[in-house]
Amino acid sequence: MILWKDRRQLVLEAIAGGLLILLPFYAGEYTVTTFVRIIYFGFLALSVGMLIGQAGMISLTQTAFFGLAGYVIGLLGAERDMPFPWRDLVAIGAVLVMALTFGLIAMRTHKIVFLMITLAFGQICWAFAQQNTSLLHGWAGIRGIRPPTIGGINFNQTSNFYWASLLIFALGIFVLWLLAKSPFGLALNGIRENPRRMAALGYPVYWIRVVAFLIAAVYAGVGGILATYNTGIITPTTIHLSRTIWVLLMVILGGATYFWGPVVGTAIAVWLDVLISQGTVRYNTVIGVIFVMIVLFLPEGVLSIADSLGEGGSLSPLRRLLDRKIADKR
Amino acid sequence: MDTRVAILILNGLTQAAIFFVLGSGLTLAFGLMRVINLSHGAFYLLGGYIGYSVVHATGNWPLALVAGGLSIALFGFLFERTMLFRVRGGDLPQTLLTIALSMIIADVSLAIWGGHPLTLNVPAYLNPRVTILGITYPGFRYILMGIGVFIALSLWLILYKTKLGAAVRAGVDDRETVSALGVNIDAIYSLVFALSALLVGLAGVLGGSYLQLSPGSDTTILTYSLVIIILGGMGSLLGTIVSSLILGQLLSFGLAYAPQYSYFLIFVPMAIVLAIRPQGLFGTEV
Amino acid sequence: MEKTMLKKLFVLLAVLIAGNTDVRSAEKEVKVGFISAFTGVFSSFGQQQKEGAVLALEEANYTAGGAKISLIYEDDQLDNEQAVTKAKKLVVQDKIEILTGLVSGDEGLSVGDYMKDKNIPVIPMYSASEDMTMRAFYPMIVRATWTGAQSMDVFGYWLSKVKGWKKIYAIGQDYSYPYNQGGGFKRGFFRGGGEEVKTVWHPVGTTSDFSSIIASIPTDQGYNAVLYNGAGGDAVNFVKQYVELGMGQKIPLIGQSNTFEKPDVESMPADIVGALSAHHTADDLATLAWTKFKEAYHKRWSHDPSAASEFAYSSMRLILRGIEMQKGDISDKPALIKAMTQVDMSDDPRGPVALDPKYHSAIENVYIREVAQDGNGQLYNKGLWTVKNVGQFGPYDPELYLKQPSDSGSYPPDTRSAFPPETLKATTEYQYIPFGQ
Repeated sequence: MILWKDRRQLVLEAIAGGLLILLPFYAGEYTVTTFVRIIYFGFLALSVGMLIGQAGMISLTQTAFFGLAGYVIGLLGAERDMPFPWRDLVAIGAVLVMALTFGLIAMRTHKIVFLMITLAFGQICWAFAQQNTSLLHGWAGIRGIRPPTIGGINFNQTSNFYWASLLIFALGIFVLWLLAKSPFGLALNGIRENPRRMAALGYPVYWIRVVAFLIAAVYAGVGGILATYNTGIITPTTIHLSRTIWVLLMVILGGATYFWGPVVGTAIAVWLDVLISQGTVRYNTVIGVIFVMIVLFLPEGVLSIADSLGEGGSLSPLRRLLDRKIADKR
Repeated sequence: MDTRVAILILNGLTQAAIFFVLGSGLTLAFGLMRVINLSHGAFYLLGGYIGYSVVHATGNWPLALVAGGLSIALFGFLFERTMLFRVRGGDLPQTLLTIALSMIIADVSLAIWGGHPLTLNVPAYLNPRVTILGITYPGFRYILMGIGVFIALSLWLILYKTKLGAAVRAGVDDRETVSALGVNIDAIYSLVFALSALLVGLAGVLGGSYLQLSPGSDTTILTYSLVIIILGGMGSLLGTIVSSLILGQLLSFGLAYAPQYSYFLIFVPMAIVLAIRPQGLFGTEV
Repeated sequence: MEKTMLKKLFVLLAVLIAGNTDVRSAEKEVKVGFISAFTGVFSSFGQQQKEGAVLALEEANYTAGGAKISLIYEDDQLDNEQAVTKAKKLVVQDKIEILTGLVSGDEGLSVGDYMKDKNIPVIPMYSASEDMTMRAFYPMIVRATWTGAQSMDVFGYWLSKVKGWKKIYAIGQDYSYPYNQGGGFKRGFFRGGGEEVKTVWHPVGTTSDFSSIIASIPTDQGYNAVLYNGAGGDAVNFVKQYVELGMGQKIPLIGQSNTFEKPDVESMPADIVGALSAHHTADDLATLAWTKFKEAYHKRWSHDPSAASEFAYSSMRLILRGIEMQKGDISDKPALIKAMTQVDMSDDPRGPVALDPKYHSAIENVYIREVAQDGNGQLYNKGLWTVKNVGQFGPYDPELYLKQPSDSGSYPPDTRSAFPPETLKATTEYQYIPFGQ
């Protein structure tokens, strides 16, 4: 992935960035709110997408980290008045602790068993949130969560909140990009392709996967914090299986193997949801059919269209798909 | 023995029967095809709803059981033939395809049968009040347990006493070899997926008769099914039997003694087993 | 690859922005947002609400006071977070002027919380959390329907005072609406001389087999009845298994307001004929208003109305009449609210309804009912007694009432002796009038 290939590229990216930054000035408030949603779901999608794309792990626990961060913010911020940024740091800390616990167990497995185990973890978290009424208020969840006011800037205001989210998002993407290029990222790719060989080469495969899981969990957690501030409420439905599935679909929609895949997928999926649910009550059917089509006819996501139209070359996704399929055969 | 405890055990056994029928279908498909059918819960719902419509129209419960089972079997067969086979071997596309299918089924079912909870009427002759050793218990629940045992025996016979079963078992161990032996592995895949769908369709009619069907049942049932096969070991029929029995009793006693945490409780044995033995009680390494 | 992708993003962006600029029409139009659960576990309620609201709108030909009324539906699947997101969408994008719908208490409170500073009237339909019109009240809320405790206080008091029952075993769904119903029930039951309401909670929607909970009900400790404090699919399961385990012969089953509501009661076994409950509707009301409504509803939707659909019908009529009184110009929101609280609802299908000017909550009839079977074998709720003019505070002094904490899983206590006696002091007495008089 090359971020700045030439000048034209740079200009295009600058314009895109400018358009995003200036969004609140030319778009309606609803468009801005929708972009905020794209950003926090984008974090969640990056979390899921990074594990799939970089490490070949399909984790269905990520929504639980998203929700955990939200619950901590609600419990400490809304109910116990702990100030920013302490509650937020505690939230990330809690996410790390839970991710480590789950990671140590889950990383002993691979592939479909890993998927099932992470699914089960996610469901445990959901069941607990749903049934614990004394602390988490069960189904009702925690209400009245507000973003902080820092240095006189009130982040309860939509455009301020949008800019803050956008900044954090840009930072998150940048870090992820650095990570992907780092030796750690390359090792992760190696493990995705062939864990045995990497182990034979002396890489601590188990621990590399655990660390990747922790990093991904933090991304989900950051998304969860932003989401909770934005809606002002955290409930068990946030971590329900249907949400987890929704995120997975977003990632695939964009293309899990592309760096920008999860983000693009989220942007499209969130807008699809908004537009289709306005048009028909049967929007779940429409979305379901769209996803069936994608899986069958566009398994590498929408970005693969752009790719097949563009340069292609040795990194063409089709080739990579074939390569991986071959590598997958045991 | 205390009457209450006896009833709790019987409840656990009824629940276990349904759990087994649910889990066996999922585990069978996984064992051979390495496919996790995440529309299992939606199949259950659809099978139950079809059974409901049949009972509603004819009043004939056994016919509804057959209709619910067979229609889902056919549906599963067609789904495998037309779509699922295209993504064979890919964990991610398989997962997504079955998820997308379950979204569609659940939504279309909502459009057809509405959001009200529905329940299949069991005729009185199938549900006498039976008193054994002074304990009165609904007869239909004994029938459920009987059906569970019957299905377990049939599956065992199919798997261990027929040629199809031999091919399936061989396929579990080594897919390439089976193909090399000239067995049509594609046909076997389709058959097994249809059998798996048949089982969950039956479970839908059985479950819809002693419980109720409504939107949302699909995800609850899917979760139960996954917990059953993870605990028992994916691909193991024996494991499914054992885990169904454990979870049935756990759910029953959990509801009696800690109703607020009953649902959470069923995940506990799974978490313990996963920590010690990730492949489940009777599973083999995948 | 980057280039084409970016281009595509631009196109997408352009389409989205263009698609989101709203086009204002010249015609006078009032946009009403309608949030409810049209899919998901509670979609049955959303459907009933929609049917009731649409019937009212069609009768008014979608106009009021010369303005065209348009309804914008949003599905929240009864997910509180979705509810807030959808409310946001309705407010900032659709620029609605009135918000209605809402099924559950928590959903109502969450949306109410967001709408607080929006200067948009919120007219909850079935959301029964009393705090919306009590502890979390603000002037833009008008609820012409009910609170959870309203009907249950009448019911509990009647059971202990008139029937002389002392002990009840209550099993309920673990969330705010049953808390509020259970709270009302306990207050009424203890005030009339009841001693204990043993309460067990179970999680919503994930419990399917209740037989173990049922088998754990002690049959030898003198409980006069088992109260199932839940609704929907859980209620159908519970009732079915209660009958199957032969408990009906041992301890009678009673329900909260929604337990035996139509259409769920139609999925229940006939053995529950005689089961008692209380609500603001009864299926065999013989008043002209109800008969007219029932016939119109049946004609339009080919099934019988329920409390949820009646509440939606009545709330929508309140909205229409409020707009009518303002002659279609509702730019002055406080004036609209004032008009709404003064709307004449004496012809409401379920009986005369008046609004409390202070808390904008309903003062209306409560009916004590029993499940009965009609000529076709269909189960329905048959009225037994009527209590008129019941407000959200019941017979209690509002100030004293508000000093209590909100009803929860652990409040009020299970026994009368643990109850603060001053909170049970009534300032008025209920008059139980035979149904239909």
